Amino acid sequence: MTELFIDDMRKELDNKSVTSSDLFNEARDKALKYQDEYNSFVTIMDKKEEMDSNTKLSGIPYGLKDNISTKGILTTGSSNILKDYIPVYDATVYRKLKEAGAVLVGKTVLDELAMGGTGTTGHTGIVRNPWDKDRMIGGSSSGSASSVALGIVPFSIGSDTGDSIRKPASYGGVVGFKPTYGRVSRYGLFAFASSLDTVGVIARSTRDISYVMDIIKGHDDRDMTSLPDDNILYSDNINNEIKGKKLFYIKEALENKSGNKELEQIIDNFYKTIDKAREIGFIIDEVSIDKELLETIYPAYNVISCAEATSNNSNLTGICFGNRIDGKDINDIMMKTRTEGFSELIKRRFVIGSYVLQKENQDKLFLNACRVRRLIVDRFNELFKEYDGYILPSTERIAPRFNEASDKLGDDYLILGNHLIIGNFGGYPSISIPSGFVNNMPVGISITGRAKEDYLVLNMANKLEEVLGYKGQVSKSE
Amino acid sequence: MIDKNKLNDLANRLMFKMEDGEYDTLLREFDITLKQMEFIGNIKDIEKVNPMFYPFDLELDDSYLREDTFNNEIDFNSMLINVKDYEGSKVKVPKVVE
Amino acid sequence: MSKYVPVIGLEVHSELKSNSKNFSSSKNGEGEVNTNLCPLDLGYPGTLPVVNKEAVRKSLMVAMALNCNVPEKLCFDRKNYYYPDLPKGYQITQFGSPIGVHGYVMIDTDSGPKKISIQDTHLEEDTANMDHMSTYSLIDYNRAGVPLLETVTDPCINSADEAILFLEAYRNILLYLDASDARADLGQIRVDVNVSLKREEDSKLGTRVEMKNINSFKTVREAIISEIDRQTKILESGGVIEQETRRYDENLGTSVFMRSKVDAVDYKYYRESNIPEIKLRDSFIDSVKNCLPILEYERRHKYIDVYGIGKVDAYTLTKDKKLSDYFEKIISYGSNPVDTSNMIVGFLLGYMNKNFLSLEDIKINEDDFSSVIKMMSDGKISNKQAKDIFTKAIEEDKNVMDIAKEMGSQISDKEEIRRIINEVFSENTKVIEDYKNGKNVNGFIMGLIMKKTSGKVNPGITNMVLKEELEKL
Repeated sequence: MTELFIDDMRKELDNKSVTSSDLFNEARDKALKYQDEYNSFVTIMDKKEEMDSNTKLSGIPYGLKDNISTKGILTTGSSNILKDYIPVYDATVYRKLKEAGAVLVGKTVLDELAMGGTGTTGHTGIVRNPWDKDRMIGGSSSGSASSVALGIVPFSIGSDTGDSIRKPASYGGVVGFKPTYGRVSRYGLFAFASSLDTVGVIARSTRDISYVMDIIKGHDDRDMTSLPDDNILYSDNINNEIKGKKLFYIKEALENKSGNKELEQIIDNFYKTIDKAREIGFIIDEVSIDKELLETIYPAYNVISCAEATSNNSNLTGICFGNRIDGKDINDIMMKTRTEGFSELIKRRFVIGSYVLQKENQDKLFLNACRVRRLIVDRFNELFKEYDGYILPSTERIAPRFNEASDKLGDDYLILGNHLIIGNFGGYPSISIPSGFVNNMPVGISITGRAKEDYLVLNMANKLEEVLGYKGQVSKSE
Repeated sequence: MIDKNKLNDLANRLMFKMEDGEYDTLLREFDITLKQMEFIGNIKDIEKVNPMFYPFDLELDDSYLREDTFNNEIDFNSMLINVKDYEGSKVKVPKVVE
Repeated sequence: MSKYVPVIGLEVHSELKSNSKNFSSSKNGEGEVNTNLCPLDLGYPGTLPVVNKEAVRKSLMVAMALNCNVPEKLCFDRKNYYYPDLPKGYQITQFGSPIGVHGYVMIDTDSGPKKISIQDTHLEEDTANMDHMSTYSLIDYNRAGVPLLETVTDPCINSADEAILFLEAYRNILLYLDASDARADLGQIRVDVNVSLKREEDSKLGTRVEMKNINSFKTVREAIISEIDRQTKILESGGVIEQETRRYDENLGTSVFMRSKVDAVDYKYYRESNIPEIKLRDSFIDSVKNCLPILEYERRHKYIDVYGIGKVDAYTLTKDKKLSDYFEKIISYGSNPVDTSNMIVGFLLGYMNKNFLSLEDIKINEDDFSSVIKMMSDGKISNKQAKDIFTKAIEEDKNVMDIAKEMGSQISDKEEIRRIINEVFSENTKVIEDYKNGKNVNGFIMGLIMKKTSGKVNPGITNMVLKEELEKL
């Protein structure tokens, strides 16, 4: 029954028709069963963690992205350089879930060090899309999305720096929520780009997301950027009336000049979706935004995230932890450890990041990227004065086949393929919910709202989800 | 001008080596990135914009600073599990070259 | 040809005193190897810095004491480089907006006061400690993350002597503020020195050479002198100074090459976004300002100019804040500053030194100290009596005023003194003979009188009466 909603499991647990051990064993068995085929996990737990508690999540199994620190449990960041790393401390999000009685089933595969969007760069192999094994699930929260789409667990924790929760959720036909920056403590999340990183949730309904958010959100003295408590129970507010809530979509993002058939269907799906949204009372306007500004989103993100990543990962040298490769002197050790520890993609990102931070380049490259980030955020903050959020297809395509996409930087450029980054630039809460199928693969739409108004984004998404009819779907029916 | 030598130097300073073929991909990526950034550099008055390092201002003041009490959370025993080589209670590494 | 003028700039790193480290809660202080640790200190993935209020408070105090401007908002940056003693692969420091900028420190050189301008002072963190063996190195992370304050002077120092005067003045500021113990022997204060030479008439500075991480002021002096010498020789023989980093080798007595400008590390400074900008409210700034004591330089000049205390004694009194505080409290009870200073510098410090005592061992309260000095200044007791009172008070741990009473007051009655003098004459007939033979015996006889009366006679009156009595002979 781990393919059901949290409420269903809660009911069975409370009336004692199942035990948390039953649920753990079921989830664990499914995890093992699908592991060879889909590769959702780096580590599958042998034993259930024992923790007494009385919350919505007690006894509920879940997956945790393998870039989140778990004391005594291997945490690799899906990178060779950390393939044997056993943390000595718990991430705040993990501690909170443990204290709430949620039961860890496994640590999920990601794109190496969360840098990538394909699910193909983890050190333990590629993650496959549960709806079509020949396709990617996307990333970087690849295993978190696939474990939920496969019905192994009702929810998994992921992290999102550009679209790393929302994109795989969309490709996997499940719900992915990136909260406001700082809403969930980052303490224990392996840093990729600190000014963009967030911890979030993938589940099969917005309601389940809100249950998890109610446990994991909140201020943390260990993370100076964590927000003060908002003292709102999201799960109590997801059914609030949304009549009159105003959303916009970006005209330029829906252009399809090449007449791409798949894109056409995705756009078509979007228009049908917003029709349904309007029917339940949303006011949705088309807004035009300077295309040149929108086209700066990806380059600015590329520069900022690579720069932060190269610095954030300079702790990985094999000196006091990590997969040290012996060498003749200390430099040789660091050199060999990093040369063998990182894949090519990561190295390319680091070199770009390092270049843009160099003294002679920093102003023109890194700082200009940070400047354009402000221009973009200013523009959206301006729009958010009038609108409660913006709505767009989550991605410009369905999950690619393995030979169709790569993590190499290309110059073909679609605004629709990169708009999710706006959520990270401005720290906005942003969700992707499934909105149907194109070519038998799931597609999703996303709603991005004002910073700190996580409850409202969840509320709007839940109301829309109710009328779309894809809530709770899993790729496998047992 | 960015060439393989420059990239090789950058990689060395980041403490890793890259294969020759990897530099070719990287050169193409640089080409794209720099072109895109040139475009950004041409945005009118871009230099007057205050660079953004945080998604929003958290509006913190000195009362958010940590009170100065100490608490050692770990010690050498807990480090050991991840330490490859040590002597006594110190992490051991080959000689540092100046 | 004109002479070369040395131009010197200093960067001084000092470990700040606090209970916990700068960005983690592990202990800042003594501890067994690798025990003062938190996950952040080891650079474990996922850890985040949380700024220590006390480290900010202490560095603000120093910034203010250096007459610096302080920013409205606190920000931190990353300095990126790879070294095994730097677990995170970057040091959190302040690059764009240091906690203090554009300040100065006054020093007194032989040719008068000089202003040493301070470029900035910024808060950062220390690295781990490495022991270098012949074939390997060992790392202790206890020091990693200890708050470190780096103060950078402008290149405005022109001799080794000036550099040392500045360093001593700066160390005293740290000590006055209790911001750091600043013990060079424990590595709590470390200096980078850069030296260039220019011709007197040139306005442009010469090429600078940096010498890193010098651990004692004595070595700083040696390093500067030898580097000036090295550069002078190169220039005089028509050579060119290369911009480079060198290391001063104490055994060789000269600097040795480390790396050239070409190999310089680009630290790729950029904002540490894990630490939000933190507004320093006026109330916080004021609370720090209100804790600032009057500092050595100001005190010294007041002692000299207002109190009329000699230069050397004023230096001695102000070198140690506790001593200076003690002195100031004593004179606040009304005793004469010069007499008080003379007693402290001329007697108390020597006594303490001889008996290996520190100021904490001296239990004489300031009020009583002042009373005894007043009695002495008024001629009620002699200088010797005053010293005896203090000695007794220290040695027997007794109340000063009780001792003063017990020892009785000074004999200043002329006839009583005359009686004592005649007793001395009759007991020492040999001296009388000597006097009659034309020898000067006044001093000797005074000594005998003092000995007989335990120094209780008023010296002025006794001297007068003695002259009268000698003439009678």
